[in-house]
Formats: sequence, C-alpha cells, structure tokens
Amino acid sequence: MDTMTTLNGIFCEVFDEDSIQITRETTADDVDGWDSLSHTNLIVAVEMAFNVRFNLKDTRTLKDVGELIDLIDRKLAEKA
Amino acid sequence: MLFSSYIFLFMFLPAALLIYYLTPARGRNLTLTGLSYFFYGWANPYFTLLLFGSTTVTYYCALTIARRPGDSATEELPLRDEDAPAPLRQKAAFWLSIAANLSLLGFFKYFNFGLENMNALLVALGLEHLQLEGLFRIALPLGISFYVFKTVSYTIDVWQGSVRATRNFVDFACYVSMFPQLIAGPIVRYREVAAQLVSRLHNAEKFARGTSFMCLGLAKKVLLADPCGKVADTCFNAATLGALDAWYGLFAYTMQIYFDFSGYSDMAIGVCLMFGFVISKNFDSPYHADSFADFWRRWHISLSTWLRDYLFTPLNYMLLTDRVRERMVREKFRYNYPAIASSVVVFTICGIWHGAGWTFAAWGAMHGILLGLEQLRTKKSAYWKWPKLVRVCCTFIPVSLAWVFFRATDLGAAFGYFASMFAVGNKTAGTGLVAGIIYQPYYLSSVAVAALLVWSAPQTWDFTRALTWRKAICCYCLLLVAVATLVTKAHSPFIYAAF
Repeated sequence: MDTMTTLNGIFCEVFDEDSIQITRETTADDVDGWDSLSHTNLIVAVEMAFNVRFNLKDTRTLKDVGELIDLIDRKLAEKA
Repeated sequence: MLFSSYIFLFMFLPAALLIYYLTPARGRNLTLTGLSYFFYGWANPYFTLLLFGSTTVTYYCALTIARRPGDSATEELPLRDEDAPAPLRQKAAFWLSIAANLSLLGFFKYFNFGLENMNALLVALGLEHLQLEGLFRIALPLGISFYVFKTVSYTIDVWQGSVRATRNFVDFACYVSMFPQLIAGPIVRYREVAAQLVSRLHNAEKFARGTSFMCLGLAKKVLLADPCGKVADTCFNAATLGALDAWYGLFAYTMQIYFDFSGYSDMAIGVCLMFGFVISKNFDSPYHADSFADFWRRWHISLSTWLRDYLFTPLNYMLLTDRVRERMVREKFRYNYPAIASSVVVFTICGIWHGAGWTFAAWGAMHGILLGLEQLRTKKSAYWKWPKLVRVCCTFIPVSLAWVFFRATDLGAAFGYFASMFAVGNKTAGTGLVAGIIYQPYYLSSVAVAALLVWSAPQTWDFTRALTWRKAICCYCLLLVAVATLVTKAHSPFIYAAF
C-alpha cells in the first residue's frame, strides 16, 4: 500500500468520516474537523501507522497533505 | 488619541494623510513612523521610549540571529536554517529579545497585580508586617500588549526561519509602531506586511475602501456599541438587579463588546488601507459560530492565530510524551489529552493577556475548559445533527455567560451578577431605577438593531468590496450620523484600548 492510501485510511479514522478522499492538494480547510486541536490526533496516528517520529518543526510547517506525504516519505527514507 | 475622538478624526488623521501623501514614495515609511510616534506620544510622551526601546532591541537581536559570518552588509539576509546548530550569539540574541519584550510587558502590565496578590497572600499567611505598602504603582502604557506580541512574533519567526530579518530599521520601526494598529491591534505579523513595507500600491479604490471601512467602524462604535454599553454599564453597576434585566444587560454587553472591538478593527483596517497597507480580517461573524473552536476561528483572529502558533502548538507538542502517544492510540483517539490541557493553559494565558485580573483569568479558563470539553465530542455525535440554529445558540449562550467575567470588576461581582441572572435570592428592590434607563426606546432599539445586524448583515469586509456609489453614500450617511451622535453624547473609550 502506498503512503497516500494508508494516509487516507488514517484520515477516515481520525476525523471519523469514511467518505474522506484526500489528494496532495487537500488542506485543513477541506477536511471537516481538521483544526489545530485535532491535528495532534492526526500526527500521533500517522506516527504510529508509519512507525516514524515527528518533531515540533515537522508538525508546525505542514501546509497541505502533499507536504505531509513528502515528510512521511523522507522520514521513512531516513530510517531505511 | 482615540479613533472616535474629534482630534483624531478631524485633525490628526487628515493632517497625517496630507503629510504622508506629500512625502516622496521612498520617505513614506519614515513619515508614517514619525506620525505614529506623535500619535503614541500624545497621551504620554515617555511611553514612546518604551516603544522605541522594544523596537531597537528586537531589530538588533533579529539581525544577530539572521546574520552569518561573511554576509555582505547590503544583501538581503537569508532565512535562518532552523536545523543548523545555533552559535551562542544567536541563541543569546533570541533569548535577549524574548526576555526583554516579555519583561517589559510583565513589568508594566502585571506589576500592580502581582503586588496586590502578594500582599493579600502575606495577609492570609499572617505575615502582615511584610506587606509592601506605599510602593509606587505602574501606569499601563497604551497598546503594550499588542506591540510586544508583534515584536515577539517577529523574533520567533526570524529564529524559525519563516521570515527574513530586515536590515532596514525604519521599515521595522514602521511595522511595530504603525498607528492604526498600535493601540488595540490587529496583531499583524511581519510576514504579512514585509513586502508592503518595501513597496505598496496607493490608489483611489484602496483609499475609498479604507474610508468606507472607517465610516462603518465608527458607526459600529458610536451608534451601536456605545448605547449597548450604556445598558450593560447600568446593569453591571446596579446594586440590585432582576433576572430579566440581568439577562438583557448581559446580552447588551455581548453586543457592545463585539461592535466595540470589531468597529475598532474595521477602523484600523480602514486607516491602514488609506496608507496603502492591506491587512487580514480580525473578525469573521463570531456570533455565527456553531462550536467554541469555530468561535475562536472567528473572534479576534489575529490574537487566536498568534496564540495557536506561538503557545498552543509548542505546548501541545511538549505534552506529547511517549506515554501520552501510546494512550491516545490505545483509546482510539477518543481523548486528545495534549490538546485539552493546552487549551486550558493557553486560554487562561489569553485571559490574563487581556488584563491583569482574576476576572480575565476566569474568562480565559472558562473558554479553555469549554474548548477542551468540546474535544470529547466526536464527529458522529448527535450534536452535529441538530439544526445549525440550535448549535449556534449552544455556542452563543456559554460565550455570553463567559463575558460576565470579562465585564465584572471582580470575581465577587461576577458571581453576584450570575446570582441575579438565575434569580438566586430575592433581589427585586431598586430595579425600577435600572429599568427606567435600560428600557428607554433608544436603548432597546439600539440593542435590537445590533442583534439584527449581528445575525443578518453582511460583514464590513464583503460590504466594502466592489464599492458602488450607493454603498459609498450609505457609508457617508452613517459617518454623518455617527459624528452627529458623537457631538451630542459623551463618548466612551474603546474597550480593547485598555489592554
């Protein structure tokens, strides 16, 4: 499964909505309930699913789903 | 100098605009800075020294943070690489700027409060003889909470590499002191105006929109906030109050604070536009919010985003320990512990930022707790299936109740007001006197019009976009009525100018 598919599943779980379809261009404005408070849930869920760890800067600078995917892929590459 | 005073409207602003537009383009930031210092020094010239001090320290510290060995003295400074190891001088400069600015705010805003509480604590501990009596009291410099948040955000942004430190002292001083936003915000970020400080467009369209923003803002303040404020003041100052009067008084205050502050923000945005600066909206129909998180996305946006970026996010991350992470996963994200805790802490700080008093802390804490509790409600909760109107009411009523703390002079008065609202005890005597004022047709209709506008009128932002002659005439008429009202009624200061 690629990063995008796994991530889509995480979004559905965290934001409690099965119909979410994310793209690289998806931002917080597009997903109901994605705000600075629920962002914590998303970050932890992503960390657990991909077995990576984000730092404060990583979580602060993300602008859209595309950047999140790049970040995950970068973290995975660093581990490999 | 208040935005709603004659001296500002009929002397300072026209003169400032004339001087500004007569200045050649490259000298305009300096002119605007000079005008801002004049504006700021009007009440107390010594306070300009604090403003200048904060500006200078922040400017030099930011330069030290951003400079790298071998940089040429003329080129634009690079963005700092946050991941690169920071030399000691960079770290020292960062902490110096943060400490200098926060201690400025801490001393001038919280000294009296700290002293009073320390004395009260000493009395409680039976150590009366140690009380510090007769010590000097500190006068609160206008706008200090607002400009200190600007300098702190600039320092952090330069440190994190999200903005370039500017080499141009005048540009930076112009950003910090810009008079339209100096007294009560919006807390504009440097990155929002950095390019505009270098070059900005001045045209008739922008100026006209700015003027209409100003007319509408003044009208909100004078025609709505002031009469609503009269009702609120009467109720909150009453010795005894019936339950209905108390609810009416609180509703009037809820309207007053919105029109007072959003009116001020409109005027600030409008005056900025007249000087060529475009800044973001500070209000987005907050009483249309259907959750507390939604309310804070719409109310005083420049403050809530500041708190989110510089306090909430770092604190939230700090609380995210391994154990917390594991627990969140185990409980399938039902309990967002870090966000709940951070909300309470950050909003209590938000309360205290407004004013050095336990009432403000209580107001902030109440919002923090409401936001935290709201985190426990899932997306599939029945709440979201209720009609929007019900959800708006479920948000509006607690938000209004919280304003009791914000308005009351002390916690005792706040609880007394709640007691009146919920008719605890039999307090009906003397209400005739209050009713004689607050139910006058002028006040009743002002509160009613305010309510009508809150829930049905377009935002100033949208109204002034694509300005037509008809809209312009409407703004002009409102200005005339507002000015006529200013002449006949005693004007009151803006609430947020006291923060």
